Amino acid sequence: MWWIKGATLVDPASGVKAQRDVLVQGENILAVSEHFSEQEVGALANGEKLETVNGEGKYLFPGLIDVHTHLREPGQEDKEDIASGAAAAVHGGFTTILAMANTTPPLDNRALVEFVLSQEQRAGLARVYPFGTVTKGMKGEELVEMLDLAEGGAIGFSDDGRNIQNSERFRLALEYAKLTGLPIVSHSEDVNLAQGGIMHQGEHAARLGLKGIPASAEAVMVARDLLLAAETGGNLHLAHISSKESVALIRAAKARGVKVSAEVNPHHLIFCDEDLTLTSTSLKVNPPLRSAADREALLEGLNDGTIDLIATDHAPHTWEEKARPLAEAPFGITGLETALAAVWQHLVVPGRLSIERLVQAWSTAPAQRFNLLGGSVKPGMPADLVLFDPNWRERIESETLYSKAQNTPFLGQELQGFPIWVWVGGNAVLQERRVVAR
Amino acid sequence: MWQHKDLLGLERLTSAEIEHILRTAKPMKEILMRPVKKLPTLRGKAVFNLFYEASTRTRTSFETAAKVLGADTASIAVAQSSVSKGETLLDTARTLEAMRPDLVVVRHQASGAAEFLANHLKAGVINAGDGQHEHPTQALLDLFTMWEKLGDLAGKKVVIVGDVLHSRVARSNVWGLTKLGVEVVLIGPPTLLPDEMRVLGVECRHDLDRALPGADVVMALRLQLERQQAGLFPSLREYSRAYGLTSERLKRTGKPTLVMHPGPMNRGVEISSELANSPRAVIEEQVTNGVAVRMALIYLLTGGTAHVVD
Repeated sequence: MWWIKGATLVDPASGVKAQRDVLVQGENILAVSEHFSEQEVGALANGEKLETVNGEGKYLFPGLIDVHTHLREPGQEDKEDIASGAAAAVHGGFTTILAMANTTPPLDNRALVEFVLSQEQRAGLARVYPFGTVTKGMKGEELVEMLDLAEGGAIGFSDDGRNIQNSERFRLALEYAKLTGLPIVSHSEDVNLAQGGIMHQGEHAARLGLKGIPASAEAVMVARDLLLAAETGGNLHLAHISSKESVALIRAAKARGVKVSAEVNPHHLIFCDEDLTLTSTSLKVNPPLRSAADREALLEGLNDGTIDLIATDHAPHTWEEKARPLAEAPFGITGLETALAAVWQHLVVPGRLSIERLVQAWSTAPAQRFNLLGGSVKPGMPADLVLFDPNWRERIESETLYSKAQNTPFLGQELQGFPIWVWVGGNAVLQERRVVAR
Repeated sequence: MWQHKDLLGLERLTSAEIEHILRTAKPMKEILMRPVKKLPTLRGKAVFNLFYEASTRTRTSFETAAKVLGADTASIAVAQSSVSKGETLLDTARTLEAMRPDLVVVRHQASGAAEFLANHLKAGVINAGDGQHEHPTQALLDLFTMWEKLGDLAGKKVVIVGDVLHSRVARSNVWGLTKLGVEVVLIGPPTLLPDEMRVLGVECRHDLDRALPGADVVMALRLQLERQQAGLFPSLREYSRAYGLTSERLKRTGKPTLVMHPGPMNRGVEISSELANSPRAVIEEQVTNGVAVRMALIYLLTGGTAHVVD
């Protein structure tokens, strides 16, 4: 049994932000109280071994849930695999991660979905749920066997990394997915508008002589996706929203009553196109880092609920792939191990994002949206917990990262505010910043 | 005076540094004009030309410049090299480094490739064109040509017309010219000169004829004919009518305007044959000056001072 003492519990699901003691027994939360005495805890433990963690001066969150990660297995294990991705997840405070389906081969059949789940069991760290693709081979043509994939454990469907350009195919996917009740996650990008682009289209790209990806490349498809979701009543989630135009479209659609959810990535909230140089491949990401005005609109959208979730879009690549001229390096930023600290330092500490909103958007809301275990700290719920130390400082170095990749713009920088203990289903998988397999 | 290991672009140079290069190029041109054009100055120095894009004139110009100064040169062209076997630029850089060059001249299709190479090489790097970013030696030879013909450039007006968006020549010229106090006007259709090009800090307009009055120099950019298939302009005919330079059109400047072109020319498209052959056009002289300017740069980057040249 675990006794987590004296931490400030932040649990938007039960409306709590106050000092609480939490008791964990087996896989679940046993009890939550303002204070337990030694006698009370002794009685509840009933002879079971008791381990105490002092949470004074720290925050206790429901385990964070990242609905957008690329774990690269099967097929690209040089970049990442499920075990290293799951270790990176708990190292960064995530107890549950959703794995995108654009592996090699893509997760377009039940056997592959079940393979990911079996690798998750072997890793024994974070909970990993795979997406299935929407279309066979991610070709944007024939639908996958959605019912079979759902039975095999797919958590939703996404061709993330590619966009389904054919609007009729996307409409049909929204219709057919209703059979499963699972969401379609759209990577909203007009391929023709984005073609050949490297960074956000604007003055900074013009100065550097880099081909731009206009904000319209995203917004055009966000508009389409919203219209189709409204028309079909389908279950739509919009991945990695990056532009102010998209935020405005989503806000207007929600006001009309369209059922849709949207996520934002930490890097789009922290950086902008002006941070890119001709050699900063760790900031090359798709959708690209947009203007400072876009960044402000995203934060506003996150704060007013237009954007529901924060997700990392953890996209690991090898060092060799990123050690190239900007135009030739692949798109993607890793996030699992730095995202919480970075959002804390850049947004929570300056008072631009509240702690409650952070936990809501990164734990409570993702659990509700994708119908997952966790997302709250209540007796009887699975003990997926994060003890967060706002004063813990750490330099981000390739040797200390559990991910195989190091393509993060924070490499070499010191960040402040890290998870120090993480429990998944009652198991302490992160102890004093060290990942401990079950 | 010269403190840099590399020459990557003009954006980061000061006007004093640019003027220093131009002044150094002047005696270099005199040397180039001698009947016996060979100096021992850089004997024992090795200059590598690493060209990832097809180029005849720029590569030959660098090679000639290095040889006149007495350096040894080696040319690595993509088609025959291990690049076609998929070697990365980083590995190529390491391989070259192991051969101990003093200077590497690089042309590459990716913006920033020269800077990337410079960060990984102890040898100096000269950018001979990186993607759509910069082509500093072309701009320097353009500046040298204008300086020779017009004297002090401050207050002069230069009109650059054509596919500005995709042009590293235009970008480098804008940085260089504005540092020397020149008024620059960029001209092209909106598809090839989008609004955000204003970030370069100069006037951007779509109407050539209205920009010509008072121009001391008009520079035509090479039009890549593939841009028509990509939908950026409808036809060569229409492009030429709106933006092609002709003697008739040049009358609007009201001056004996210099006509320049970085080459190779599409005669009858961005410039009429008749104008290109006229005495106003200094296009071949630009080529000569290119060798002189590159001599100056190779000399400065391999440690030469302004006074050694006799």
